[in-house]
Amino acid sequence: MSEEFNWLDYAEPAESAPEPPQRSGRRRFLPRLPSLPRLPRLPGRPIMPGLPRLPMPALLRRRRAEATLEQPSATDLLGGHDERPLDELDDRLLSLRERSVASAQPSAESRQELYDVDDVLVTPEILEKPGGVISAVALSKAQQQQIELLRDIVGGAPQANEPSGRRLLRAAPLFSLSAVPRIIGTGIILLMVSLPFVSPDFAEGERPPSDFDEDRHGAIAVYNLLDNLSTADFVLIGFEYGPTAAGELDPLADLLIRHIVAQGAKPLIVSSKPIAIVHAQNIIREINRSVASAELRLERGSDYHILRYLPGGSLGLRELSENFADVVRVSAKGELTGLVIKSLSEMSLIVLLAEYAEDMRNWAEQVMPEADGTRLLAATGYAAAPIAQVYADAMDEIAGLLVGYRDVYTYGEKLAFNFGELPQAQPEVAPASPETATVPPVETTGEQAAQLERVLSTAFPSPTKTVLPTATSLPTTTPLPTVTSPPTATHLPTATATLETIRIVEVISPQQVRIRRGPTTADDILQLARAGDSFEVTGANGDESWYRIALSNGLDGWIAAFLVEERMVTAAEFRSGQASASANLADERVILWLESIVSLGKTRPRFYQSDSPAPGDELEYIWMRDRSQEAPRLHAMTFGTLAAILLIAVGNVFYALAALRRRGREAQSE
Amino acid sequence: MGRGSRVGMSAFVAFIVGVAAILSLLLGDNPALFGEQPGSDELARRLALPGDALLRLVVIIVAVSIVIGIANLLFAHIGRLAQRKFTSAVLLASFGFTIYWYVTRQGDTSLLEAVQVPIESSLAALLFLSLAQGGARVMQKRADIWGMLFVVVVLVVLLGSLPLAELAPVKTWSDWLMAVPVSAGARALLLGMALGAIVAGARALLGQDRSYRG
Amino acid sequence: MDDTTLQVYSLLFLFATVVLVYTARFFHARPGRRRRQRQIAGFEQIPQWTTQSIESNRPLHLGFGGAAVGGDNTPTALAGAEFFHQVIERSNASDASPLITMSAPATIPLGQDTLRRAWHKGDTLSRARWIPPDLAYAGAVTASMAIDEPTAHIMAGRFGAELALMLDSASRHGQPSLAVSDRLDGQAVAYAMADHVLIGEELYAAAGYVAEDAPARADAAVLDVWRVLILLGAAALLLLEFSRQLAVISLPLVAVAAAVLVLLGVISYRRR
Repeated sequence: MSEEFNWLDYAEPAESAPEPPQRSGRRRFLPRLPSLPRLPRLPGRPIMPGLPRLPMPALLRRRRAEATLEQPSATDLLGGHDERPLDELDDRLLSLRERSVASAQPSAESRQELYDVDDVLVTPEILEKPGGVISAVALSKAQQQQIELLRDIVGGAPQANEPSGRRLLRAAPLFSLSAVPRIIGTGIILLMVSLPFVSPDFAEGERPPSDFDEDRHGAIAVYNLLDNLSTADFVLIGFEYGPTAAGELDPLADLLIRHIVAQGAKPLIVSSKPIAIVHAQNIIREINRSVASAELRLERGSDYHILRYLPGGSLGLRELSENFADVVRVSAKGELTGLVIKSLSEMSLIVLLAEYAEDMRNWAEQVMPEADGTRLLAATGYAAAPIAQVYADAMDEIAGLLVGYRDVYTYGEKLAFNFGELPQAQPEVAPASPETATVPPVETTGEQAAQLERVLSTAFPSPTKTVLPTATSLPTTTPLPTVTSPPTATHLPTATATLETIRIVEVISPQQVRIRRGPTTADDILQLARAGDSFEVTGANGDESWYRIALSNGLDGWIAAFLVEERMVTAAEFRSGQASASANLADERVILWLESIVSLGKTRPRFYQSDSPAPGDELEYIWMRDRSQEAPRLHAMTFGTLAAILLIAVGNVFYALAALRRRGREAQSE
Repeated sequence: MGRGSRVGMSAFVAFIVGVAAILSLLLGDNPALFGEQPGSDELARRLALPGDALLRLVVIIVAVSIVIGIANLLFAHIGRLAQRKFTSAVLLASFGFTIYWYVTRQGDTSLLEAVQVPIESSLAALLFLSLAQGGARVMQKRADIWGMLFVVVVLVVLLGSLPLAELAPVKTWSDWLMAVPVSAGARALLLGMALGAIVAGARALLGQDRSYRG
Repeated sequence: MDDTTLQVYSLLFLFATVVLVYTARFFHARPGRRRRQRQIAGFEQIPQWTTQSIESNRPLHLGFGGAAVGGDNTPTALAGAEFFHQVIERSNASDASPLITMSAPATIPLGQDTLRRAWHKGDTLSRARWIPPDLAYAGAVTASMAIDEPTAHIMAGRFGAELALMLDSASRHGQPSLAVSDRLDGQAVAYAMADHVLIGEELYAAAGYVAEDAPARADAAVLDVWRVLILLGAAALLLLEFSRQLAVISLPLVAVAAAVLVLLGVISYRRR
């Protein structure tokens, strides 16, 4: 402490943060080679252990020979700071410099003062109090570091009894009381979000409907346009999201791609984000991984294409719209795709998966003007939805918008229903044979025919595509164009067994009910049923809360007991009852059934796993997704939102009251 | 060449290129502007060429810039390694390993999916927590009428988004809020930004942007 | 309105802006007079932060986010660069070089150039850092809060909801922040969570508030002129619509409309 501090011999503390770089104008192009890592610190260190020491300000270090006490601040030091060409200084700094140079030149006395400074400034000794109680001195980490630096500058040596100080001046605590509300808030949110995954009892909130509301025309249009695709169609998919939005948009992407390929159409995936290209490849890989049969797997180059990345954001999209033929020529892997498509208007549809509203804007503004009648369907997350909706409403070219999990759920339900099963009345009237596989000779009344026409024209808006397809239009190369008649009729009781009584259930719930693969709500939905539908009972679970029923396609399904009424009838009655039920619902059923036939007739090449499915076989379809997590996820969203609402309300009330109290105190003190 | 003339030159080049691009984009591919004269189609097509060429040039430059980005990232982290910050070694090692994996596995990107998607998904979950915490502290930072309005709108919209039948009336308010005031505010913000963008664009066009001033 | 008409109008608008910019510069360049600017609270902290950066030897963090040169948000990137330039010039007596981050690779040269011009010292290459976009960007910036310990964060560019992660972390590190985004979700997060916020076009006026030089102040004034013109235009349209709907011009209604507009004007010029 008593020895004189020598500026010139001063060395940086060994464990100091990296020295600021050389400022000599020559730039280091190669990094300095790393020296060997140091050994861990040994005990007996200066008073503030565990804190990185602040480096001596380079300005001070470089100018320490001339530095005087008359230069107390960095601004003053600038006065002597002359290694930088003066003409590079801006006006403000230049004037500052001139002012400080003009002020007093350092005198010999002031220089002397600095050397004596360690006599003046004696760092107080900090002693440990008995019992280890935290001392009254509570310095922040930054303050402690500054003390260390000051001590270095003035040449103060560490105290002899350092180790005792170590326990007194602690570094910033790992845990502070102010973090408690934050931790509680986070805990509540995490708890509430995880409840639905823990137990099915936590199922607050209505599930989304099984079909899109009539007033949301956009979503219906999305479904219908995709459902109207056929094997000759190409669909451009703007894949504008990466791993960031994967949680929200992956289910939508998966669903839409499955629907497109189930129709036999070919998706062309393109993106202006490089990471999205990689992510799209992985989505397809996931789809392929989810199907067991090799025939269903999607082949790059034949079933789908991932095109090259479009750099330049909106400019890249402009390039896509104007030089479409060039863009489709090369795949993301740099190979030739072999596609000869002259312009964007040859696409049957454009599907946009957008993470941000800007993506929607860019596609709407840069791509759609060249699309020339091809329509755009958009799918976004909740954050982008409000702005995306504005575009969807304003532009005729945008046919519709799907948003987030809720629409995924509804879309999935609708897809499963429409692809899954023909309505039960169908066996009575459908002679669909594999040879013809076209429009069966349906005897419809004039009224029904009119209604049918209406339905078809609304369901399939494009007039060229409402023509009921014929088998002759089927491409011969598709693996499964056989349109096997569903193995349904064989399952119904035969006419000879008329006196045999059977146990049936009739749906009494006024709403559509779900028939599932197993006796829990977590099981997959096989099909939907309406009030009045009746099914033969083939079994029940232990407490008879679920019935196992025979479905018209030969599969077994499960239905919850409280939705149905059980009766015993003769087989003949059951058959006639089914017939009368189907007559009551004739209009609706014919329409539904014809929609299904239309879909079938167009062939869904990725429909069946094998050409001759046996009754009871697990059929596999490309559109089938694992939907077991969808319901808990929706409930988790509801719970999470509830927790957030709670937190925001309570937190803001608290802070508002605190602000009011503070203002009251301020007013009082004035 | 002095500094002043260099500045003047770069501003001049910026101006000429900017005006050429605008005119080319406006007049090009727009034969209607030239009336029903013979050859107007050809003229419009030719006028579009310089604008298209410039845009393509930009696209190429932007495409190359990703390489600059990676180089920047690598050099920054090599520099940090030199300063004995060994966390950077993790980045450099994973960079090398990913490239090795991609090359040896014929372009397999599953590694990225296995690492990045879980990490980003958990960050997204953290984001939800941060947003909720931030939402709870609005009044701490802005204890005024605007902060209060903000919180009320947030709460109404969140309540409206809950799929609970009991909250049907709130849903109508929230729909109205989103459709009318929120949408109006959003448009006003976008309008303001568009104005700002035009002024910034005009400055760049006039060669007054800092980048041209040397 | 067909495309051609729209393009012609856009061109006229751009031309009018150019004329306004020149006019404003002419008026602002006259010596001896410093024109008054409307107050924007967000800018008032900047001198304090630059001083702190100088005296505490800790860097300022300046974030572009996803603002990209060459994309639709080029003006955002340019405005951000100009803003950062002015901030860095104020702080360049510090030893700690400011840290500029961006997630669009095309913005790296812009960031480096800004640093080189305003910082006047070496080591600019490694202080302009590219970080992959979105959540990765938020993660890296959050990490740098503990490593580089910036004095303050100025986030001016394109950010989405991921801004919440950065602002939350900054507030936990006791590092103040100023944020503005040209993306609406980012702007909402900035309003809720940043210590200081700029709204909408204030980003484009930023240089004019931080700098002392006349041209930047003139550009900020042009923005205000446009705002007033657009407000007046909206007012005129509103009055027209009122009178059309009522078939007669009802005086009380016009008065109410006028009052609403005046209120709007006051709010828009009011200090936040």
